[in-house]
Amino acid sequence: MSMKASNMMYVLSDALRSIRANLITTIFTSLTLGFSLAIFALFLFVFINANAAIKSFGDRTRIIAYVKDNQAVDPEVLRKELLKIPGVGSAEYVSKDRALKELKDELKGHESILEGVDANPLPASFEIKLSDSFRDPSLISSAAQRLKALNWVEDIQWNREWVEKFSAFLRFIELAALIIGVFLGAATIFIISNTIRLTVYARKDEIEIMRLVGASTLFVKVPFFMEGALQGFLGGVLALLMLWAGQYLLLSNVPAYFRFVADVPFPAYVVFGFLVAAGVVMGVAGSLISMGKFLKV
Amino acid sequence: MIQLFHVSKSFDGTSALTDITLKVEKGEFLFITGPSGAGKSTLLRIIFGSEAPTDGQIIIEGRNYFKIPPKEITHLRRRTGFVFQDFKLIPDRSVFENVALSLKVAGVNPREVKSRVLKMLSYVKLQHRANFKPPVLSGGEQQRVAIARALVKDPAIILADEPTGNLDPALSIETMELFKEVNNRGTTVIIASHDKNLIDRYGRRTVCLDAGRLAS
Ligand SMILES: Nc1ncnc2c1ncn2[C@@H]1O[C@H](COP(=O)(O)OP(=O)(O)OP(=O)(O)O)[C@@H](O)[C@H]1O
Ligand SMILES: [Mg+2]
Repeated sequence: MSMKASNMMYVLSDALRSIRANLITTIFTSLTLGFSLAIFALFLFVFINANAAIKSFGDRTRIIAYVKDNQAVDPEVLRKELLKIPGVGSAEYVSKDRALKELKDELKGHESILEGVDANPLPASFEIKLSDSFRDPSLISSAAQRLKALNWVEDIQWNREWVEKFSAFLRFIELAALIIGVFLGAATIFIISNTIRLTVYARKDEIEIMRLVGASTLFVKVPFFMEGALQGFLGGVLALLMLWAGQYLLLSNVPAYFRFVADVPFPAYVVFGFLVAAGVVMGVAGSLISMGKFLKV
Repeated sequence: MIQLFHVSKSFDGTSALTDITLKVEKGEFLFITGPSGAGKSTLLRIIFGSEAPTDGQIIIEGRNYFKIPPKEITHLRRRTGFVFQDFKLIPDRSVFENVALSLKVAGVNPREVKSRVLKMLSYVKLQHRANFKPPVLSGGEQQRVAIARALVKDPAIILADEPTGNLDPALSIETMELFKEVNNRGTTVIIASHDKNLIDRYGRRTVCLDAGRLAS
């Protein structure tokens, strides 16, 4: 790869000349790259946000274990026992007194219902949250079985139907996102590579002529490499600007409780780095791959 | 310095050249003639290395062409000037840039490039067209740009495919004088032409191709 200084200078000045000469093409290719990357990133962000929102909604899956009355053992000992069961993330003790108080709070204004009830009829209980890996209905079910088998547990309660529907819904969303993501990703790569292929194709005679008058492949490649990198960089920056504009439009037109959709789930520099890197890689690889066959003259 | 042994070339089964054995000495001036479609351009392209023969051997400067890696093809091209029948000029670069390209790719320094290109353009009487783009030039002018680009690098070999095809008789003779001059300085010159008058006028060795075969 050794090159004389004057040769390197020609290569660079040739690259600049060629960028100037193909300015319109460069701008349009960059715009194509920008739009494609922005659409893909937008999809990714909305999916990540929606998925996170749905999952946090799913955190309400919990199991309530009712403790047998007249249980003499310290609740803290029972709690430790619960935490040893696989899948149990946390357990909170609700004493008989607290259960009654909570019931009374809920019945505010209708306390008469409780008139005539002398002894506290409510059992003590544990509110158990399962760990994140236990979202699947069959796993929840197996944890529930184990809880129920404890000799101090009177009964357990969990909303099996809701959990099953919710988990089916999650699977549907994830599958739909995967399919859309694959299509969108393929379309993005196809559009970008085809755009670059056409810009290179438009200059195939130039590439061939340069080879025929004795240019090394490196000499011919460098301008395309630099143009590809420039287009990719501009494309990445444009995509970022489009995303910002999109976020601004969403935030100013969407009710507050729905704004999480417009959150960017990564730090700004990660988004910037991702878009620019994706643009540059596609720009450079696209250019070099497209010109390969014209170099073999 | 250039030797072909039993070289054949066919395109998808139809043969363009058949069993060509030819030896060209260093510093020779050779005409290749023959009717249209006889295989003159194909023969020049094979010597230039931009087309591979289907059969046979080619030795240039003592080296078998088949065994030359791509990198050395590049170096050989810098030592060989080719005047293409269809010129092959880059349309969106000026005449100056087109001619300069064959020096730049070899890393000649910019000051030298400028003086050599301008001198060469004046030899082919195109100094006043230096900043024009090829498509606006006449056919004969474009042809002279192609000739200038081939000659400017002081090549060891000149391969010229119908270099006077678009030139009027006076310009044809002047162009042939240019080739004679570089030949006098030691360059091997091979010219494909079907201009019988021109060939007769110079009385150099002439090989005649007919339907891809050497005729006498
Ligand atoms: N790339 C190719 N593919 C198929 N056939 C080709 C190709 N190049 C040349 N030929 C054929 O090979 C034969 C020789 O062509 P060539 O161009 O060498 O002739 P020529 O002697 O230069 O003719 P002219 O005087 O018209 O330039 C022709 O029949 C042509 O059609
Ligand atoms: Mg021909």
